[in-house]
Amino acid sequence: MTKKFIGKRIVRNEDPQLLTGQAQFVDDVEIPGMLHAAFLRSDYAHARLLSIDVSKACQRPGVVAVFTAEDMGDDWQPGPPLVSPPPTAKDVIFNSRRQVPLVKDKIRHTGEAIAVVIAESRYIAEDAVDDILVELEPLEAVVDLERGLEAGSPLVHDDLESNLAAHLLQKKGDYETARQKADLVIKRRIVIGRGAAAAMENRGIVANWDAKSQHLTIWDTTQAPIPIRNGTAARLGLSEHQVRVIAPFIGGGFGPKMMMFYAEEMVIPWVSKELSRPIKWIEDRRENFYATTQERGQIHDVEIALSSDGYILGLKDVFLHDTGAYDPYGLTIPLNTQCHAMGGYDIKNFTTEVSVVFTNKTLVTPVRGAGRPQGIFIIERLLDIASRELGIDRIEIRKRNFIPPDAFPYEHKIIDQAFAPLILDSGNYLPVMEKALEMIGYEEFVKEEQPRLRSEGKYVGIGIAPFIESTGVGPYEGARVTVEASGKISVATGIGTQGQGHFTAFAQIVAEQVGVAVKDVRIVTGDTTEFHWGTGTFASRGAVVAGNAIHAASSIVRKKILELASKVLETPIDELELDDGLVRVADIPHKSISLGELALLANPLRGAVEPGTEPGLEATAYFGPNYGATAFGTHAMILEVDPETMMIKIKRYVTVEDCGTVLNPLILEGQIHGGVSMGIGNAYYEQLHFDENGQLLNASFADYLIPSATEMPRMEVGHIETRSSLNELGTKGVGEAGTIPVPALFAQAIENALYDHELEILEMPLSPNRLFEFLNEEKSR
Amino acid sequence: MKIEGEYTFDGPREDLWELVRDPEVLATCLPGTQSVQKMSDNEYAGEIKVRIGPISGTFSGQLFVTNEVPPVSCTLTVEGKGKVGFLKGIGNIDMIDQGEGKTLMKYTGEVQIGGKVASVGQRLFDTVSKGMTRQGLDKLNEILQTRRTKN
Repeated sequence: MTKKFIGKRIVRNEDPQLLTGQAQFVDDVEIPGMLHAAFLRSDYAHARLLSIDVSKACQRPGVVAVFTAEDMGDDWQPGPPLVSPPPTAKDVIFNSRRQVPLVKDKIRHTGEAIAVVIAESRYIAEDAVDDILVELEPLEAVVDLERGLEAGSPLVHDDLESNLAAHLLQKKGDYETARQKADLVIKRRIVIGRGAAAAMENRGIVANWDAKSQHLTIWDTTQAPIPIRNGTAARLGLSEHQVRVIAPFIGGGFGPKMMMFYAEEMVIPWVSKELSRPIKWIEDRRENFYATTQERGQIHDVEIALSSDGYILGLKDVFLHDTGAYDPYGLTIPLNTQCHAMGGYDIKNFTTEVSVVFTNKTLVTPVRGAGRPQGIFIIERLLDIASRELGIDRIEIRKRNFIPPDAFPYEHKIIDQAFAPLILDSGNYLPVMEKALEMIGYEEFVKEEQPRLRSEGKYVGIGIAPFIESTGVGPYEGARVTVEASGKISVATGIGTQGQGHFTAFAQIVAEQVGVAVKDVRIVTGDTTEFHWGTGTFASRGAVVAGNAIHAASSIVRKKILELASKVLETPIDELELDDGLVRVADIPHKSISLGELALLANPLRGAVEPGTEPGLEATAYFGPNYGATAFGTHAMILEVDPETMMIKIKRYVTVEDCGTVLNPLILEGQIHGGVSMGIGNAYYEQLHFDENGQLLNASFADYLIPSATEMPRMEVGHIETRSSLNELGTKGVGEAGTIPVPALFAQAIENALYDHELEILEMPLSPNRLFEFLNEEKSR
Repeated sequence: MKIEGEYTFDGPREDLWELVRDPEVLATCLPGTQSVQKMSDNEYAGEIKVRIGPISGTFSGQLFVTNEVPPVSCTLTVEGKGKVGFLKGIGNIDMIDQGEGKTLMKYTGEVQIGGKVASVGQRLFDTVSKGMTRQGLDKLNEILQTRRTKN
């Protein structure tokens, strides 16, 4: 069936509101009598809290209250465990230690909240924070992952024997036997540094406990309003229906805004209830660097076993993962790393062992990519090295190892982040890579242009990096679709929106089913009063899981519309068509009825409704996949390195994505552009630097560099569609895809550019300075 | 962060030592010093105003003098904290008589910073601390010569 709306390049419904500054963000919420909060945060990474004296702060005019952990009494509870260890894994070690609302005994990372001041304005609150006297006993900090696991290391959590947060070993086949048969074994250490998500909008919360109606409303920059509502109700001893969580427009989520139960999410609603006043807290940029979760720090000792003709016989990866001071997100990130370290390759023997380490640093939870970029970096680096050592072309070695298209669904026999068996549902990797090669003009560049540029003394390199991305994991999402008396459609779903174009892509799904214009579908996301079942927006799952729930609900509504119209128009259903907000008899176009009229007939004010029927043209439906759909793609780039300054210039950037059915190419391209920008940051600019005492040394955008317009290339986005068989729409996620292969691609392209150096890039992120150091090290060898 | 350097004074070692152990002289020499009080022979308390790029604030803290071998060497320990963070430093000073009324001062030390001074000011801290040290030593040398001319 040809689609009228799905797959069309439709401009976004939400843009007029967003672009004219009319969209509501958390900081736009103003309530009469609202007070403002500021947090006292630790300057130390690791210290014992000896005493707090808030008396001077309380005396400052305009200060309403100051709270410490002691003041919270029995309401002081750590955050909930969000992700338990995988129940199906054997011999898994998992020490669950969760973040606390306010520090009670020991500070475990810089920026951890010690006390909160509530005042008439943020200015007063900030000044009063400086009035608080805190006595601390500084302790030696755990910063380095390897030293953190050594005997005698200081402990982040005193009640544990070591800083080991978790340990998980997964095996597929028999690596050791495979290794013995290998012609070549490559062993390397690969180090990935830590970065920030650096969303444009920092976090923020407004909580308003109305004592008279006994109802709490929370506006929160969360990606997952429903878990926040349920958790808040439980924490405060309220019914879930006494709490409404609204996640309005949000300026970027990227993972750290998931259902964390950050300290502030635990404290601000509690304070509102204590004082019966509305309270606002908006995070500032420096707080964001300390108090909002980060990701990517891992150290890998990897080895790959190959035959002389370049076939991978086995892969072994033993790695350390930095979880920061607490581990509320369980093993999600390292599991993703384990599941992506094999890329899209047919690897029969795989051993992967992770040790998760507590450190005195900000918490680690998923950031766009969530462990996947690390996995892809490892396998792509190893293949690049193997290609050189075996003298096999880098494209050819990848072709030889791709999982063939007839092998799907392909089961890897390890478990994934959703604790489901890792099954790649569908794939056809070669056409995607070939399209990328063709788009960037690989053959011509390598044979003609590159030699010419090199003869002119230019350092220009090309890189090609295929990748896979597990997306659209369960458990489920739901939606309610209603035809209103106006003939317009109203839709509510539980997930939140942080700029993904949900108001358009979801509207297209509905419009396709019920035959209205896309602009006549009004979507509500992230308001628990509108829809209160679901999980949230993360893991590239919005369009897949919520999208298919919306599709399912729309299909039921379509059926209801046709059944009622069939009665009214006295025509069999198969002779009716739905278009332009009308149900028409196909052969007699003037014989029709509008959706609005039908909606009124379905919800009569008088007369009897047939027993067993429901009023209205409305349906609620849910979708939950057995396991996630795996998207894939290839990125290619040509870059030039300035041999004096080590600054790079991206000359061409090509992406070819296969994320199944495309809902809206315009939105898809936007997601890719944003993802690639983040990937470029991860590859060449963005790294958080901590000193040996756990002090973050670059907590501002003057020192922590994010790519700006001048670093962004013009991107060429290609697309191939391999439908997922796991859902009716055939969709796969794409939200994180742009970010995942970029570090691997950069490493390859830079090595290719600096062809007259024996450069082997085994760490990320790089920077011009770090590249300069590499080349100097090489010279001194 | 490590601090290391040397400075040649135009005066004899004994005179220089006397100045170094005089809190009022120290207060005059260190740029931004608001006050210095002698708590005991080896302990001083004071306040210093520091500006590092976008960060400025007052640190209050103590200075301890230990391992004293007059007029040859001593160890200085500084601990300060304020609204913009904290600072902890330990350093050794050696004074070498160069003859002809000149003294060479060698100093080595290690400074630890935290809070806003570290997270936002780190990039400039090195330059600022070197600048402050230089200014302080120049001022000390100036006082040394003024006193000598007076006497």
